Amino acid sequence: MRLKVQVFALVLLLALGVVASGCIGGQQTQTQEEVTQVVIGVTDKVTDLDPANAYDFYTWEVLNNIMEGLVKYKPGTLEIEPAIAERWEVNEDSTVWTFYLRKDVKFADGTPLTAKDVVRSIKRVMKINGDPAWLVTDFVKDVVAKDDYTVVFYLKQPTSYFLALLTTPPYFPVHPNYSDTQIESDATYGGAGPYRIAKWVRDEELVLEVNPYYYGEKPKTKRIVIKFYRDASTMRLALQNGEIDIAWRTLRPSDIKSLQQGGNFNVIEIPGGFIRYICLNTKVDPTKNVKVRQALAAAIDRKEIAEKVFMGTVEPLYSLIPNGMWSHIDAFKEKYGDANIELSKKLLQEAGYSESNPLQITLWYTPTHYGDTEADLAQILKEQWERTGIIKVDIKSAEWGTYVDYARKGQMQVYLLGWYPDYLDPDDYTTPFLKSTANSWAGTGYANPTVDELLTKAQRLTDQNERAKLYEEVQRILAEDVPYIPLVQGKLYLVTQKNVKGVIIGPDMIFRYSTLYKE
Amino acid sequence: MSRGLGRYILIRALMIIPTILILYTVVFIFLRILPGNPILAVVGTKSISPEQLEHLMKMAGLDKPYHVQYFEYLWNILHGDFGVTLAFPMGKPVWDYLKQRFPATLELTIWAFTISVLLGLLTGVLGATKKGTKIDTSMRLYSIIAYTLFIPWFGMMLQYVFGVKLHLLPTSGRLDPGIHLQTITGLYVLDSILTGNWDALVSAVKHLILPAFTLGIVLSGAYTRLVRNNMVDVLSQDFIRAYHARGVPPRKVTWYALKNAFIPIVTLMGLQFAILLGGAVLTETTFSWPGMGTFIVDRIDYRDYNAIQGAVIFFAFFVGLISLIVDVIYAILDPRVKY
Repeated sequence: MRLKVQVFALVLLLALGVVASGCIGGQQTQTQEEVTQVVIGVTDKVTDLDPANAYDFYTWEVLNNIMEGLVKYKPGTLEIEPAIAERWEVNEDSTVWTFYLRKDVKFADGTPLTAKDVVRSIKRVMKINGDPAWLVTDFVKDVVAKDDYTVVFYLKQPTSYFLALLTTPPYFPVHPNYSDTQIESDATYGGAGPYRIAKWVRDEELVLEVNPYYYGEKPKTKRIVIKFYRDASTMRLALQNGEIDIAWRTLRPSDIKSLQQGGNFNVIEIPGGFIRYICLNTKVDPTKNVKVRQALAAAIDRKEIAEKVFMGTVEPLYSLIPNGMWSHIDAFKEKYGDANIELSKKLLQEAGYSESNPLQITLWYTPTHYGDTEADLAQILKEQWERTGIIKVDIKSAEWGTYVDYARKGQMQVYLLGWYPDYLDPDDYTTPFLKSTANSWAGTGYANPTVDELLTKAQRLTDQNERAKLYEEVQRILAEDVPYIPLVQGKLYLVTQKNVKGVIIGPDMIFRYSTLYKE
Repeated sequence: MSRGLGRYILIRALMIIPTILILYTVVFIFLRILPGNPILAVVGTKSISPEQLEHLMKMAGLDKPYHVQYFEYLWNILHGDFGVTLAFPMGKPVWDYLKQRFPATLELTIWAFTISVLLGLLTGVLGATKKGTKIDTSMRLYSIIAYTLFIPWFGMMLQYVFGVKLHLLPTSGRLDPGIHLQTITGLYVLDSILTGNWDALVSAVKHLILPAFTLGIVLSGAYTRLVRNNMVDVLSQDFIRAYHARGVPPRKVTWYALKNAFIPIVTLMGLQFAILLGGAVLTETTFSWPGMGTFIVDRIDYRDYNAIQGAVIFFAFFVGLISLIVDVIYAILDPRVKY
């Protein structure tokens, strides 16, 4: 027995020794390897590493780092520059686009990339017909390789913003190992981007290493490690403990504020193109009545929402087209102002409601999909509407799978949603919401032939000024018809350790890791 | 092994089957009666046509009547097939995830279990041997506090103190970024020893300490109380007085008493293991520990029917197996139990 106790004590001591040596040595010695790597924490998930099926913002970010398209946004700007294609030509009515590829482009394992790969990748997306396939199939009639380095796109209709579409992952050439017909969700072959995947453990860790065959400027950091967190609190603690160099999407507004005030970290604010809005069902009572919808729009105080719910981490939005994007106008501000209780009351009275016969509505939200501030957002909207004295709001919630089902079936009256852009053009903030043939997902049942016509026309025109006029008109009609009430536009926040440099994120909100480095 | 014991084991093993069947049925029904489904959760707000939606539903087998879905899955399970994931990523075998995630949970639970038993025994014995003193009161207080601690809150406190303030231990994950470990069993501590990867061993142990202590301390409370009360009973019995009268050293007497007090503790160990797995869900979420708990929570978010069903069945089978082992040990330990 004594021997057993002694063996046990020895094992325990050894274990403690190992732990102690780790605790003492681990934090202080920094190897060369650690210096050449940057660790990024996220609470997002990589859904699908196949660009034929990936359709969420964070996965697109990863794909943008391991793949590259024919063109790309110049870092930090909305200016499109050559990428795999060194130049391009377009015919007069912008239906035939010809791209001339660089001759030195290779995939991450050294396989040369030719026009054939571009064509195969795009046809693959069309064949697989996954979630984002419409970004190709709605526009491209055919794509052919004229020779090894020339690709020609034949479009279904004139599409002035085709270059913006080309910056999205469905157009990225993928490694020949990707199957022609099957989705490969965990494929690590990648494309011809600055990084390649060295290790991938779903929901746990993604390790990227520099692609040695990348044609462009070599990334500044040899290795990027992405750590996936279950929640923002754990990610914040990991940042404070030095386990991660960057806390990226998405810390809570209160965490951002307190890290900003502490002064131990760099807090970088990035204007974001994602928007939050209220959907109003135009097919059911009482929101069928346009005066009711207008009254609801008039009573909202966006500044209060931005300050109280989001602690200033978002900005008020008065149109579906975000602030700063060409053609944006403050349509709702022009028509209703902010917290216009008097106008709201007047409209409600015109619609037949009064203090003795109040308007009863049910406001829906989903508790986690848009972060944990959603219940507060619903609550403040209720308060703002009830300030009229003529509106009574009942709040209900449903988890995401159910919520989407309700929305698609038009079972909700008034509900909160959000939108991340697919491509940076006013079209992506208007057509999917307002065009009657494209907005069934939203469940508002909105249809207006004039709007449909304006949007189709805007899609075909090549002159930006002409297009802008059409989108302005659409925004005014939106403020009049109110199938949606724009609320706020998000900003993105990135918190880094003090020694992290080279963060450049442009209006496309995609974080490209190649400019990152540590001092 | 006696014939009676063999029969007992067989019956207990067979009892696992209806338990799993009932659990599967309940989970199946609940997942189906709620509105929405995995395909809608994945598609979200993006605009796809109703035809495309129908096509995806068909691909996932969700267009079939419920009873067909129920029996098909059951049939597959009997053949060791846990189905494929319906949400991100679509079409991957659920078993691949269970294989990857379960060792993480098992490693955490083994450590937490060991910590809880050791702490429980230590504090319980201390309380019993110092009965009526301030130490006894402190141990009883410890038991109540430990038992009522809320895991996410307690975990965050430990993360804050040992991570953020003292910079002693990592607060999340299983290994430091950049450390490569060849996995054999999936239990990182064991794998790093087997492969002689000492950097990984240090990192794995450091990462285990906070989550294992969080869960271990919370669960130790029940042991403290049980060990103390049993020991107090045993210590007041005649044979203990006889030991004292013969001049047996007090430490040895305590050891004999503990051996006698051990049988009900073994039963508790079996029960605790099931609770332990439940507690692991909360602990894993708090520490971003990539185990079964976080897997189930993630999959619930996406309403991934197959993944949830598969994980629940796997969990139930495992808990059933552990209770069976505990019952057998109990039967062997206690000669009074007859079959």
